[in-house]
Amino acid sequence: MRARSSRPTRRRVITYLAAGVVLILMAFPLYGIMLTSVQFERDIRSADVAFVPTYITTKHYSEVLSAESGVPVAESMINSLVVGVTTALVTVLVAIPAAYALNRMRVPGGRVILGGFAAIYVLPTLLFVMPLFITMVQLGLYDTYIGLVLPYVAFTLPFMVWIMGSFVRSIPVSVEEMALIDGAGLFQLLIRIVLPLLRPGIFAGLLLGFVLAWVEFLTPLLFTSKLSMLTVTLGLFRSTMDIAIGQLAAATVLTALPVILITAFFQKNITEVITAGVER
Amino acid sequence: MTDPVRAIPLVRTKYRRGHRAAIAMVAPAVLIVAGVYLYPAVATVAYSLSDIDLSPRFRIVRLVWFANFVNQLQSAAFWEATRITLYFGLMLCLLTVALSFAIASLLNQTFLGRGLLRVVVLLPWAVPPVASGVLWVQMFHAEFGFLNGLLRALGAEGEVIWLGGQTIALHSVLIAEVWRWIPFATIFLLAGLQVVPRTVKEAAAIDGAGSWRTFTNVTLPLMMPVVIPVVIFLFVWAMKVFDTIYVLTRGGPSRSTTTLNYLVYRQGFEQFDFGSAAATAYLLSALTVMAIAGLGWMLTRARRLAGT
Repeated sequence: MRARSSRPTRRRVITYLAAGVVLILMAFPLYGIMLTSVQFERDIRSADVAFVPTYITTKHYSEVLSAESGVPVAESMINSLVVGVTTALVTVLVAIPAAYALNRMRVPGGRVILGGFAAIYVLPTLLFVMPLFITMVQLGLYDTYIGLVLPYVAFTLPFMVWIMGSFVRSIPVSVEEMALIDGAGLFQLLIRIVLPLLRPGIFAGLLLGFVLAWVEFLTPLLFTSKLSMLTVTLGLFRSTMDIAIGQLAAATVLTALPVILITAFFQKNITEVITAGVER
Repeated sequence: MTDPVRAIPLVRTKYRRGHRAAIAMVAPAVLIVAGVYLYPAVATVAYSLSDIDLSPRFRIVRLVWFANFVNQLQSAAFWEATRITLYFGLMLCLLTVALSFAIASLLNQTFLGRGLLRVVVLLPWAVPPVASGVLWVQMFHAEFGFLNGLLRALGAEGEVIWLGGQTIALHSVLIAEVWRWIPFATIFLLAGLQVVPRTVKEAAAIDGAGSWRTFTNVTLPLMMPVVIPVVIFLFVWAMKVFDTIYVLTRGGPSRSTTTLNYLVYRQGFEQFDFGSAAATAYLLSALTVMAIAGLGWMLTRARRLAGT
């Protein structure tokens, strides 16, 4: 009896130990950067790393966001916000009709288009960037919002069509057929029936589009150089030239925070999407 | 409605002839993607076959046919980058899948705080690549980085120069990238584990198989159809890693972290040699496609073996 009960207990202990190890491995770097961002420079630069803070300062955050900051972090966040929201709106607007047509209507070459949209991601982005760079310069789009939004939209679009497609397929066909039998035209069907049913998908798509634009680095690195066009990721990279480690840590947290909040909030949905993918 | 068994949605049949509406709905997406992907892909082919002058302005000097490709295939830098890329890709897949498999098996059990752990495991994925790069620069800092601090706290002498040596720098980049990809792989594998029926494992246990034997003979073969797609995703991403290398090492010290993708960047935007960069980009693409083809072949085999 005793031997029998000790085995599950040992198993339990191992499970919790393993959970502790995983927790530390995955969270430690994030904890470290957050800790650095709220400590004074002299403590950050001491060899005895304090893993538990005895005080918290928001000094680095206010410095980084102030107008006197060496890298205009606040301005770069506004730039990324503008570019990200525009990208999200345009991408979703273009992706929805395409996703609907590709999944519910007969499009010549539809399968090739969907396959091509997935295959694109296999190739390195740098392969496409060189001619784009030349074109952007020739068209005078270098260092402009459009010069960023256009490649962002294009880089996000194929993925967005796929994601929107999965939401379109989840709408019961019978609902749409009912509307068609009632004599609704295609336009009415889309506006009155499909769009309202797609609302969760549209919301998810907007967030996804925003996040993908927010984190993009290569495009602004190559297609912008003016400080006034700085995006949040490029601004963060520029900050690495600075010597104040605390400020850099604060800028890192500010860059990552919006995406982390969105992910933590939607972790269930993200998991569902991936799980659905596995089952298929 | 010729085939009553296979119900074709009315939406499809109704718009069978109404091609025009469908085409109009797809057209904007296709045009944008063609403009930003297809045109550049073709233009890059032209670049790869040409001698290109970038100053004072872009100009194709003359056609050199395959000279750029031959130059690459004869250069030591190209083969060094290829070796680094393949090593990096294989190690990223191996480490990420092994660790994620362990974490997914853990999350597949019931214990207090599982929900919280699931969120924490997902978080690194949400960190923008550049932010993750900066974060790891600080972790790896020789004097006051957290890793060396941790080593000192555990009683180790001296300090590890994480980004200094040629071998260790590549592995430091690897650590940062594995950390970033564990979330995706874990969720994917966890979803797979939940599909593997518990009854199969219980049957194996009743037949007297130990937990290790159950794992290697039952769980792993059944999981291969899920593991291989994860490997394909990871490998493709490994071939495209840029942000982390740019922030952590800039391809150095010397060329030790210059993967093929980073070599394309160096040739194109540091040396402004678009011809070589285009050729290298296509050689990298060929490598990626070949690897995917191989993995795809393994996937069909694994699916047959797993009986799905």
